[in-house]
Amino acid sequence: MTTKTIKVDYLARVEGEGALDLHIEGGKVTTANLRIFEPPRFFEAFLQGRGYTELPDIVARICGICPVAYQMGAVQAVENAFGVTVEGQLRALRRILYCGEWIESHGLHVVMLHAPDFLGYPDAIRMAEKHGDAVRAGLAIKKAGNGLMTFLGGREIHPVNVRPGGFYRVPSRAEFVPITEELKRARDLAVDQVRWVSTFPFPDLEQDYEFVAMRHPGEYPIEQGRLVSSRDIDIDIADYETEFEERHVAHSTALHSVLKRRGAYLVGPLARYSLNFDRLPEAIQSLAREAGLGPVCRNPFRSIVVRALEIVYALEEALRLIAQYEQPEHASVPLEPREGTGFGCTEAPRGICWHRYDFEADGTIRKAQIVPPTSQNQPSIEADLAAVAAPIANEPDDVIRDLCEQAIRNYDPCISCSAHFLNLSVHRS
Amino acid sequence: MKSARAGVLVLCIGNPDRGDDGFGPAVANALDGRLPPDAALATRSGDMLSLIEDWKGFDALVCVDAAAQMTGPGTLHRIDLAERDLPGGLGAVSSHAFGLGEAVALARTLGLAPPAIIVYALEGESFESGATMSANVAAAVAPVAEQILIETARLQETANHA
Repeated sequence: MTTKTIKVDYLARVEGEGALDLHIEGGKVTTANLRIFEPPRFFEAFLQGRGYTELPDIVARICGICPVAYQMGAVQAVENAFGVTVEGQLRALRRILYCGEWIESHGLHVVMLHAPDFLGYPDAIRMAEKHGDAVRAGLAIKKAGNGLMTFLGGREIHPVNVRPGGFYRVPSRAEFVPITEELKRARDLAVDQVRWVSTFPFPDLEQDYEFVAMRHPGEYPIEQGRLVSSRDIDIDIADYETEFEERHVAHSTALHSVLKRRGAYLVGPLARYSLNFDRLPEAIQSLAREAGLGPVCRNPFRSIVVRALEIVYALEEALRLIAQYEQPEHASVPLEPREGTGFGCTEAPRGICWHRYDFEADGTIRKAQIVPPTSQNQPSIEADLAAVAAPIANEPDDVIRDLCEQAIRNYDPCISCSAHFLNLSVHRS
Repeated sequence: MKSARAGVLVLCIGNPDRGDDGFGPAVANALDGRLPPDAALATRSGDMLSLIEDWKGFDALVCVDAAAQMTGPGTLHRIDLAERDLPGGLGAVSSHAFGLGEAVALARTLGLAPPAIIVYALEGESFESGATMSANVAAAVAPVAEQILIETARLQETANHA
């Protein structure tokens, strides 16, 4: 029996540093390990002893791609612990800011990082030689997201305008006018982008995931809702630890999150879409059908279509909220610290991002726990890799390597966030 | 940031909270209010793709950035991209998915790059979070700022006579 080992020592077009080890024995995949070796950054430890007002600006530093996700989970947890609810236009502004992050993050991934895989290019620069209009459109869409982040957050990366209770400053209606026109142009480009990516060749793979996402009574989930799964989970975010746990694995500096009762689960665009198709506006449901999607999507390679669709949704949602916006009298609601525990959970572009903080009576953080999306998806990524490699186990290493890297990029993994990522090694025997 | 008509953009790249990566922003501080009319000054960190939008429409671009150490800290490299590409060690210093080299290459492919691009890259020593700039790099800020004032005037004159 021959043993073969395929190694990718440094994964390209993913955020952070990781590697892949694939072991093939007698033509069968025996192990698929996603090795995350980016060093842990100890954010949870150095939040201990810091004040609650510092929290949003510190956690924003966890990620340059999805800082709003960390900020929103954090302020939500503070408000939950101190018994305050942020509603009305302040909540609308938070949702608009979050839409900016979805547009920026998905926009980068769809065109610059993932599309080259489907069209056979090594990178977006080579792809731009033949698909210049699509790349220009992708950059314009991303710029609209950046613009929204800068407008409401104070800057496009690591926004500084978010505080527990609301914002430091809120805009007037008139200030929204220039950004509104840019968002409308980006929406038209984003609709065309959905049609473009829907024509890509998709490998035939359907996985039996347990989807986990948030669900809200009336909205496509972004920053509020219960936690639900495609099987039997329907819980308040405060009960997360009753169903989920984090485990150490030897090959990764990132903790693996699993369902206590069933193991691997999937968060992110496919889960969000499949559990909340009925929460999308009719026009976006129609666009999904036109792009070849049903109400549930289990092919991880089609996640690029779902991301493109979510860009359209985020643009539409931001425009809807801006049209209804009235400047609130106060930029934030007052908070009175008290001893207690607070929970926060929102839909980061890559999936649910869960927070728990214990506070002293003066609002000092006693303990912090943050579960980012990529940690939660690691077991599913490894299951996908084994499934993708199995039918091509006897093919040359470079064929296996290319498809496995593409399978990893289906997840738009944020290794920096999870190391709490990628090199491929294939071991054959 | 951008003037109504095309001119020269001086783009200073870096993170002032990461030791010698603060070189670009420090040069921007030294240039603030001193550039000639029709020249624009911008400081950026992080998202290199957004730079393409920053420099779109300008006649010339001067990029100021710190670089990984190759020969010695404080060594200045002036690279005219009309004459040669960014060397590997300078083009791939970003920890992000896209570095300056990739952003320039993509902009050129899409026809969005200024006709003239000059990169000033200063080799750093330490890029630790929270660290201050090392002595060799800090000492280079003022002379490099003076050199960029001369470069900007030259590029502007060339653009005006084109």
